[in-house]
Amino acid sequence: MSVERVLNIFDNNSRFEKNITFRHTLSAKVGTYAEFPPSLPTKLRELLINKGITQLYSHQEQAFKASKEGNDVVVVTPTASGKTLCYNLPVITTLVEQEEARALYLFPTKALAQDQVAELMSWSEQLGGKLKTYTYDGDTPGNARIAIRSAGSIVVTNPDMLHSGILPHHTKWMRLFENLKYVVIDELHIYRGVFGSHVANVLRRLERVFNFYGSNPQFICTSATIANPQEHGEALLGRPVKIIAENGAPSGKKEIVFYNPPVVNKPLGIRRSSLLEAEAVAHEVIKADLPTIVFTRSRLDTEVLVSYLRKSFHKLGDPETIRAYRGGYLPKQRREIEKSLRVGNVKGVVSTNALELGIDIGSLQAAVLTGYPGTIASTWQQLGRAGRRNETSLAILIANSSPLNQFVIQNPDYFLKQGVEFARINPNNLYILVSHLKCAAFELPFVQGERFGDFVPDEILNYLCEEMILRKVDKRWYWMGENYPATEISLRSASTENFAIIDTTHGQTKVIGEVDRFSAAMLVHEGAIYIHESNQYHIDKLDWERQKAYARQVKVDYYTDANLAVELKVLDVSDRIKSPQVNLNWGEVMVVAKTHMYKKIKFHTHENLGWGNISVPEQEMHTTAYWFSIPQENSVSYERDVLQSALLGIAHLFGNIASLELMCEPSDLGVTAQIRSPFTGEPTVYIYEKYPGGVGFSERLYAAHNNLVERALSILHNCPCPTGCPSCVGPAKK
Amino acid sequence: MELTSKLRKFLPRQNTASPHSSKKRNRRLDLDGQEIMTPYGACYVVEKSFPLSEYHGHWALGKAYNNSYACLEKLGQRPPKAFHMQNALFLDTETTGLAGGTGTYAFLVGLGTFTESNFIVKQFLMRDYNEELAMLYLLNKELKSKNTIISFNGKTFDLPLLQTRFTISRLPLEGAKGKDHLDLLHMARRLWRHKLASCSLNSLETHVLGITRHDDIPGFEIPSRYFEFLHTGQGHILKQVLDHNVIDILSMATLSHRLATTAKLKPEECVCPWEAEALAKQAFSTRDYSLSLAYYTAARNHSQNGEQYSRILHSTALIHKRMGQLDDACLLWKKLLEVNENDLLAHEELAKYYEHRLKDLNSAQRVTKHALAIAWSLRSPKASDFEHRLQRIDGKSKGKNHVNA
Repeated sequence: MSVERVLNIFDNNSRFEKNITFRHTLSAKVGTYAEFPPSLPTKLRELLINKGITQLYSHQEQAFKASKEGNDVVVVTPTASGKTLCYNLPVITTLVEQEEARALYLFPTKALAQDQVAELMSWSEQLGGKLKTYTYDGDTPGNARIAIRSAGSIVVTNPDMLHSGILPHHTKWMRLFENLKYVVIDELHIYRGVFGSHVANVLRRLERVFNFYGSNPQFICTSATIANPQEHGEALLGRPVKIIAENGAPSGKKEIVFYNPPVVNKPLGIRRSSLLEAEAVAHEVIKADLPTIVFTRSRLDTEVLVSYLRKSFHKLGDPETIRAYRGGYLPKQRREIEKSLRVGNVKGVVSTNALELGIDIGSLQAAVLTGYPGTIASTWQQLGRAGRRNETSLAILIANSSPLNQFVIQNPDYFLKQGVEFARINPNNLYILVSHLKCAAFELPFVQGERFGDFVPDEILNYLCEEMILRKVDKRWYWMGENYPATEISLRSASTENFAIIDTTHGQTKVIGEVDRFSAAMLVHEGAIYIHESNQYHIDKLDWERQKAYARQVKVDYYTDANLAVELKVLDVSDRIKSPQVNLNWGEVMVVAKTHMYKKIKFHTHENLGWGNISVPEQEMHTTAYWFSIPQENSVSYERDVLQSALLGIAHLFGNIASLELMCEPSDLGVTAQIRSPFTGEPTVYIYEKYPGGVGFSERLYAAHNNLVERALSILHNCPCPTGCPSCVGPAKK
Repeated sequence: MELTSKLRKFLPRQNTASPHSSKKRNRRLDLDGQEIMTPYGACYVVEKSFPLSEYHGHWALGKAYNNSYACLEKLGQRPPKAFHMQNALFLDTETTGLAGGTGTYAFLVGLGTFTESNFIVKQFLMRDYNEELAMLYLLNKELKSKNTIISFNGKTFDLPLLQTRFTISRLPLEGAKGKDHLDLLHMARRLWRHKLASCSLNSLETHVLGITRHDDIPGFEIPSRYFEFLHTGQGHILKQVLDHNVIDILSMATLSHRLATTAKLKPEECVCPWEAEALAKQAFSTRDYSLSLAYYTAARNHSQNGEQYSRILHSTALIHKRMGQLDDACLLWKKLLEVNENDLLAHEELAKYYEHRLKDLNSAQRVTKHALAIAWSLRSPKASDFEHRLQRIDGKSKGKNHVNA
């Protein structure tokens, strides 16, 4: 069935029709093409022609030219624009011409890396088998590693493996580093925030290592559309880059639908759950035989939605056509799901943002987004997962009740015209920097005066000497430890310590998944219902010390949701502005997070069935925050209760607007309010960064305070609710 | 906030030791060595000499010098032609950690060599990181002077680590190029893996070499001892580490002798079932079945361990099978089943014997059924094999269509 027919069904069913708030058609776009560059080797030219490629998209040709002229290149184009050719053509041209030449490819996920290797292997075959491509990741077996080190022309890996497996053993990779001609980084926009700040430092370490071996490779990167590719590329790579941003690829017609679930409780301003609406919408779309991907905002939502959809398709006879896909699955499971998607055994997948990246999962025709993904760039990426060149595709964004979602769904212009986010990193975040200076010193001693990116690290290195982690002799700093610093540092989260979830049903002990330390308190506390592959597990025991959660399969009609309580202490003020109306600050704070209790929520009705206590240790974090307080003169006339709910409302609203202002992930920020802050002595709202040391958001919020206020007022004025709802200041308190 | 004070405030202290214990200008080495100058600076070398008559464990060092070593081939490592201990270099390193990677340093390299009258141990110590180059330079020179390296786990640990150190120092490790390398650990494992819980040098010293260490520093303490030395400059802190390294090297000499002596044992000379079994295995792998059988017989005569005994019976039966003596093999399989009714391998062999050799389908069926029941009760993956076998036998006995599987 076609997309038009599905839209028709929605239009003629009042159940759906009244919730569609906005429709937009992106018309099909014709491509801009260019001839093969004259310097493209004949063999490669023939290979392309055999593949049915007789000319290039304009951006592919530009990338080839720019890179052959010696530039470090960043190609910024949307999903499915043929960006792999942008790096494969220049790289393989060099590899064909110089047999000893090597290239290093970095992909943010293993799945992407494996896709790429499959593609390169087929190229290699047609080029006579000389081009040896290997993936090197945590799944690579030991005996294969030796071959990769000595013989891999193209080594495909991820930043994590480069960080913990390759750089600390660079002598074993001498052949690669001595002959390194290209470093390819795909999906550059993923490397932002904390992860990006880590990766920028891994690249600083990479540069030290290839300099040591006397090579000076060129970089070729690709990125989804972001607002500041030049700035971001240069911050990440630490070198000037040439941007290629004109997309020459054609694209098919796409129908975009904004869908706002109906208000079910007017006084409280509560809308019907976006998850339940997504289920209904996805059901229609999948039933109409459009291969569909449904994105959710969390693992929990993914599992809940899969079980709903499976149940409803079970009635139609085929529950197996719906599969879940998320980060916590073991690698083998993920490979298997990806495969059945490609061959079409599976008609609908429900995914967290793991599939947002450019994994080749075949021809999906519809995408359903459960909740605004948090950034415009990410939304375009997810919408872009459905799209065929010659057919119309469908993308439906279903809003939830949060202010951010409601703002976006009510302001389609913001989405369509504003442009996309800035990618921000702060490679000089002290925590991140110090971690990587340790790794770098482990890899090669530092020479006095040596730079680390744009940073002169002498002071930190001296401090590490004081701490007896390094030793300085003859103007050099040497690693002085028995341990291996890279294993203690995870690029993706604040802690490296994952908790294993162990299935003990029927006396077995089988690891079914992992969660990080922070999520462990929320997801696998004792009494939690952990959902895995649509099966429910009751967590019988959480062994915090040994990082193990023991689970037992159960069948219950509820799921659990944990509450996080946060305390905050100011350590140091970096800057402040005092005024009669408000006092603004930003600085360093200590955040103490604790999960005290959880709620049991009934499936489908989502009613609260009760609660339980959680006893896990508090988690402390030094970070940066922006906060503002209301001077006594202005607040003293209000009653405590009034003040309390006003503060909570402001906190709720500002927390959401802040991520809009910063164009960062809402989950990067935390917010809390104190009616009488021990530090300011006044009613205070804090917005803090959720990574130790922060990545620079607090300072930006401090500078943008007036913008935040303006936006907050506009949302308040425009919200139809009488006394507060989840979409503005949060639900009204009794 | 100023950077350093910020660091102090925010980064949790990692090392609990006091950072101010270093009294830089009062360094005393007193390790009875001497400073040697190289084009890359100085390095500290300690030399000790042991007369060949001196005992280390059950044997005098001269025994190792005078033994012949071609027989080590039987233990899986072939020494070069006309090998003599004169041309060997025993090597052992002490390192700043066991994790490996480019940040692990070999701070002490000990080398042992034989002269006609003495066993000499030379130890190269880097007194600080800036002496690494000089140490590697001297090490390279020493390596060049001999043609065979003998180590304990050096193939996996010491040599790759040194290779990394040379690469980072931009020095070619010519000395190790084209050298033969005998790794004693690999050979010791062949002989005693089943006998000893651990084949560490320490365990071998206690159980097969007759060596007791006094006042020895445990290996895991060595890195932190070295760091303490770097801070204080007090040589006595390293005394135990140097002694430890010397003993390691002496023990390697004794172990070489012990390995060579064992490898030369004839079947009738064997008294240790584990050694006999290892030699039997070796003979089997070179297809010298009658010699292997002789060793297995010796092993069987001395074995007092049920698990080993069964293993020997199985291997012996296999040799008989290979030699075409199936009736002898059959007796052994039956014997194995007397000892342990659940021995599925023995059942399987017997079933094959009945089915293919004797063409006695009834017995084959009986044995297979019995085995299948056991396999089911043990939840063994072999169950499906037995099911197949049974089906085939049933088919054969019904149709009498003799399809040889």
